[in-house]
Amino acid sequence: MTDDAPAPPAAGLDKPATTGVREVAGTAKAPARPGRAADDVPRTARELRLARAGKRRPAPKAAANPLREGLRLERVPDPATFVLFGATGDLAHRKVVPALFQLWRTNLLPHEFAILGIGRRPYTDEAFRAELRASLDQFSRVLPIETAVWEEFARRICYQRGNFNEPSQYDQLAARLDDLDRERGTAGNRLYYLATQPSAFAEIIAQLGRVGLDHEQHGGGWRRIVIEKPFGRDLNSAIRLNREVGKVFRESQVYRIDHYLGKETVRNILVFRFGNGIFEPIWHRRYVDHVQITVAESIGVENRGSFYEEAGASRDFLQNHLMQLLSLVAMEPPATFDAEALRDEKVKVLRAIEPMSPDMVAANVVRGQYGPGWVTAEQAGGYRGEPEVDPESETETYVAARLLVDDWRWAGVPFYLRAGKRLPKRATEIAIQFKQVPHALFKDSSADPDANLLALRIQPDEGILLRFAAKVPGLGVDVRAVNMDFTYGSAFSVDSPDAYETLILDALLGDASLFTRADEVEKAWAIVDPIIDAWANGPAPAFPNYAAGSWGPAASDELLERDGRRWRRI
Amino acid sequence: MAADLSAPTDGLQGEAISPFGMPLAQGDPTLRWSSQATTIPGIEHELARFWALPQARRAVDGPAERTIAARTSVLNLVVVARSPELGQRSASMISMLTGRHPSRTLILVPSDPDGPGWLRAQVRAYCMVPRADAPATCAEQIYATAGGATGRHLGAIVAPLLVHDLPVTLWWPGEPPFGTALARDLIGMADRLAVDGSSWAGDGLDRLRALAALGAGGLAVSDFALMRQARWREAVASVFDRPEFLPYLRSVRRVAVTYGTHGGPDAETRTNIVKPIYHVAWLASRLRLRVVRPLERTGRPGPARGPAAGAGSEPGRGMRALLEWDRGTDVEIVIRPVISGMPAGTTLRVEILSERRGTELRAEVTAESESVHVRVWEDGVEALERTFAAPRRTDVDLLAEAIEASGRDLVARGASSMAAALAGAVAPTAPGAASATGRS
Repeated sequence: MTDDAPAPPAAGLDKPATTGVREVAGTAKAPARPGRAADDVPRTARELRLARAGKRRPAPKAAANPLREGLRLERVPDPATFVLFGATGDLAHRKVVPALFQLWRTNLLPHEFAILGIGRRPYTDEAFRAELRASLDQFSRVLPIETAVWEEFARRICYQRGNFNEPSQYDQLAARLDDLDRERGTAGNRLYYLATQPSAFAEIIAQLGRVGLDHEQHGGGWRRIVIEKPFGRDLNSAIRLNREVGKVFRESQVYRIDHYLGKETVRNILVFRFGNGIFEPIWHRRYVDHVQITVAESIGVENRGSFYEEAGASRDFLQNHLMQLLSLVAMEPPATFDAEALRDEKVKVLRAIEPMSPDMVAANVVRGQYGPGWVTAEQAGGYRGEPEVDPESETETYVAARLLVDDWRWAGVPFYLRAGKRLPKRATEIAIQFKQVPHALFKDSSADPDANLLALRIQPDEGILLRFAAKVPGLGVDVRAVNMDFTYGSAFSVDSPDAYETLILDALLGDASLFTRADEVEKAWAIVDPIIDAWANGPAPAFPNYAAGSWGPAASDELLERDGRRWRRI
Repeated sequence: MAADLSAPTDGLQGEAISPFGMPLAQGDPTLRWSSQATTIPGIEHELARFWALPQARRAVDGPAERTIAARTSVLNLVVVARSPELGQRSASMISMLTGRHPSRTLILVPSDPDGPGWLRAQVRAYCMVPRADAPATCAEQIYATAGGATGRHLGAIVAPLLVHDLPVTLWWPGEPPFGTALARDLIGMADRLAVDGSSWAGDGLDRLRALAALGAGGLAVSDFALMRQARWREAVASVFDRPEFLPYLRSVRRVAVTYGTHGGPDAETRTNIVKPIYHVAWLASRLRLRVVRPLERTGRPGPARGPAAGAGSEPGRGMRALLEWDRGTDVEIVIRPVISGMPAGTTLRVEILSERRGTELRAEVTAESESVHVRVWEDGVEALERTFAAPRRTDVDLLAEAIEASGRDLVARGASSMAAALAGAVAPTAPGAASATGRS
């Protein structure tokens, strides 16, 4: 028995988090005694009146544990089974399982935790574990994998072969999950994670409902479902899918992932805006000239040609990542920092964006597709030459849009959004371009000072840059723009959690703040749908219209030049 | 990596230890600059020379814009080390934090107080590359040894070397001389004071009271002794996360903390009991209990021997206090020693007893080096057993947390205030907490 005597200094900083506390063993030895709760007495006048009238008082709110205040981790998630559909797929191996392993090794998962992988391949538990181990060696962000930690983690992994369309598989699944609850003490809590092709979502959800795997039991046993993007491929399919989900799960059980929301720097947008007093007063049409949001990728479609042919940049980026970033930048301060308050404000932003007519689409949206070129000092082929891509493809790999948020704060301020593949570099950035000073005082300067600019860099090299004018040292009054550049890596520990770690832990804890709500998804589709429709109903595009390694089609530059502006040089 | 910092050095020489043209190992702090100075202007000059190195600036971003070579330090860290050995150990720990908390660090080592004043300083810069695609991050470290009158006025060294507008954290390992002019001077410049209450001589109660008084005066305080107990607090809190046990929290009747001592003459007064007191103080402050009778030594003998007995003869008699709920119900506090092979003052067990409507709930928390163990009995029947993986935290971790902390931690302040009240001080009311002292 020992306690907290001083320990020797750590040999290095790259080690499991020491502040985390994970339950490694636990048993409820005896059921709690039934009895009246401590607060089960009438307190308010209404409760007293209802009690005297022989009526039951409303159920009391769950009391808070005062000992929790000030503890670094709110709590370790409840015991649970993590049911991973699509367990042999790319997403599971690259992102989901490495995130779970990282949570495990940093003591953020409960001892009574099981992972049940479900996939079509004929694996045994051992073979599945071996494959996951190989993936971790490749994709874990902390290497090498500690053998002892892996062995503990691996003991909690099992596999079930299953065809998602086969009803009998779900009866077997229900029985297997009950067995796991008994064997592993997972208390009936289940997180279903759909890392499958989107076309399988509705079927899986319906089958889960058919065998009762959605039912939350009284006195414990929560059921949650995590659904990966894309959520629908247009407004109608999103509404249909929401309806199918809603037939089985309540909205509070549904966690729709857009992994961008789990990124540390995206979450920091809220802190930056609402944790600092000096920016919010100027975050306003009176001071802001326009906003630019860029999601640039230097890679092509890699081995996802068939997926990208169906999606395109508008479905892959515009409907989700770009709309999420726009919502966070433009939203009003929420009253509280809980999930519903946050999402209410984000939805209000989307409601304030008017869906476009075909003429508006022609004037305000640009699409592009890359042809051959040079990217990051390497020759790159065109999109139509990628594997699994139609040689006559009309799928856009680039989209730029000019949107207006018609509300009191942003009326008249254009939001320019662009996203594309095979651009010169990988960069995600939000730039708030402020207005010029009202009066040019330094007329004799050799160059007009640029207007102030605030750039929030999401990736890579996360940070914040403020551009302002400064006098060039010398006898004259020469003004030049300089940058005050803050980089995260130079001020904080750079060991930020991966977005999937954040989101999976939140889902296990029941915090939906960073997940998209049904109405949010539908509103975003309501903005993007008319754009896709206008393209489908219009003439064939003259693709390819930009070279790999350039910043997109010329029409994209013209989109801003018409307004007397230009894309920020990144 | 570290040179002998205590050795006298002469001259004003500066050298880039590791040329910037050479790549830094990713994630490892590397000494990049080392030079010496014997005056404050000399130190400032050496710092300016380091930052004037063209490679220390960020790359120029195109012809139209110029990127300022901005030093993104997050704080000033001042360390007062009473010996060269402690100073070097502190320097080593701080250099490990370079990537996490780039700061300007002043390590002050007072030397022979007699004779004319003198100052010898080594100016160093540690740099690291956090990621392959990230710029290097550099932190300055000034290791100053001062003797004579200069050593008695360390504040005069600190004040001119603080980076403007950045918070000042004062880390005082060992025994801070609270109440002296030197301490008042340095603490007066600080926004946060970091100490380790478990390292204080004697039972630690006097310094505990002084520390709480500083906290009540507005200073943010990080006591490693309290911070180390976070894993115990997580475990205790987890018991009452259960809805069926939560009502018992309002019916706590007794809290007992067992700690280890080595026995022998005056074992009780020689054993630092800051840690056992903090366990009680945290719980009492969270439950808004009031001190009716502070801790006093009990007349009856303590328990004979603990499980690791054999190190001494008599563990001492223990201490008792009486607290009360706002509704007037008493809560008995027992802090009792047992002979143990563990370091003296180490907490061995925390027990909480609750009685509610004729039912008794007893929770017991113990810890190992890598885990904390919780057991709960309801009317003598074991109702819960949990073990949490929670490794004991290193001093580097605690220092990092103290540096990361911003603003005042009201929970820590409440615990500190309650600990002082338990130790016999009349503590002022902490925000968000009931008065720590009650009926007399």
